[in-house]
Amino acid sequence: MNSGWTPFSYLVVNLARQIRAGEIAFSGVNSTLPMLACLLAKRAYDFHFTYVNVAGGVEPVPQKIPHSSSDPAIVAGGPAIFANEDFYDLCARGGLDLVFLGCAQVDGEGRTNVSVIGDWHNPKVRLPGGGGAAVMMPTARRVATWRTEHSPRTLVERLDFVTASGNLTTLVTPIAVFQREPARGSRLALESWNPQVTIDDLVKRTGFKFDAGAAQPTAPITARERKALASLDPLGEFAAEVHA
Amino acid sequence: MTLVAGLRAAAYGIPFQPVAGVHGSDLARVNNWRKIADPYGSGKEVYVIPPIRPDVAVIHANEIDEQGNARVLGSPFWDHPLTRAAKRVLVTAERLVPTEALAAQPELTLVPGFMVEAAAIVPRGAWPGSMHPLYEVDYAAVESYMRDEPGVLEAHLAAAPEHNGGS
Repeated sequence: MNSGWTPFSYLVVNLARQIRAGEIAFSGVNSTLPMLACLLAKRAYDFHFTYVNVAGGVEPVPQKIPHSSSDPAIVAGGPAIFANEDFYDLCARGGLDLVFLGCAQVDGEGRTNVSVIGDWHNPKVRLPGGGGAAVMMPTARRVATWRTEHSPRTLVERLDFVTASGNLTTLVTPIAVFQREPARGSRLALESWNPQVTIDDLVKRTGFKFDAGAAQPTAPITARERKALASLDPLGEFAAEVHA
Repeated sequence: MTLVAGLRAAAYGIPFQPVAGVHGSDLARVNNWRKIADPYGSGKEVYVIPPIRPDVAVIHANEIDEQGNARVLGSPFWDHPLTRAAKRVLVTAERLVPTEALAAQPELTLVPGFMVEAAAIVPRGAWPGSMHPLYEVDYAAVESYMRDEPGVLEAHLAAAPEHNGGS
């Protein structure tokens, strides 16, 4: 079945679809896909929201999309600069509605590991660290994470280390969207899936157990979403970095 | 964020800085961060981060005068908490300007000269990083530096602006 999705478009568009009217949304370091999602939402959706990013950008209108989500180029065209301590404080006092936070591993409880694979004191891999995730995940109103690899080693039953815990609501991979309600303490449940795979495939490729009772195939990419994505990545350079 | 809290504790001259969040993170255990009850009785518990007082902070500025007043254009990233927390502040700058040029718009001065111990004029000194609005990130240089091969570090250093007249 040709649903029109590539791993890249599925990730960016389904991250963009988490943004709601009137919200303040934030993208951080090493977050190229959420950066593109926020810029896509600006171009493809009619509602207003405020986009703030780790480079200090507030409502940026960049002419050229930088390779790195922390490149100061992602400040360009905006009317203000919001320093690092400013957006952390905004999040801490409950002022960020949707924060995109990356992960190496995520578990069914919506907790993430960005710190270490193996034991903290004798690690197999030392990861870059949370970059504020331990503070932002419990204090942001909603947190979305993503993985370009959907496998039992990234979507795990048990994390090697809990970097951050709290208000993670959304997980997007190239083949699925999971949601949970932190206020109810619920686990990640399948909300929708990429029709290029089956739910059986998802069960095999997901390390944590999940409920799929309410899941639907993901709504196809719209013409506006497709056009916006093409305008952000005209040469396919970002798309080339995502392998399913 | 806990890093900012530690820098703030140092900048404020206090033994710890309360910080939001952290609950449920293993980072509290491995870093031995403590939490304390709200002394005003809200019933909430707050993590407190000990001071992080860097021996030296080095920042890159757009302009500096002979007194060390340094102007930074564009996004300041960590420059404010970092320079306020450190014991000593060193500045590299794109160019030297007269004090009157900074005094014309003092709100653009990120660090006043009395805080700055020493400075050097290093055109393109942020390379391979960027300096708003003068130059952008040199991604090709960053990527070649990341290769794990013999000679990569030497080639990177040889290409640095301070070895090439700032060009």
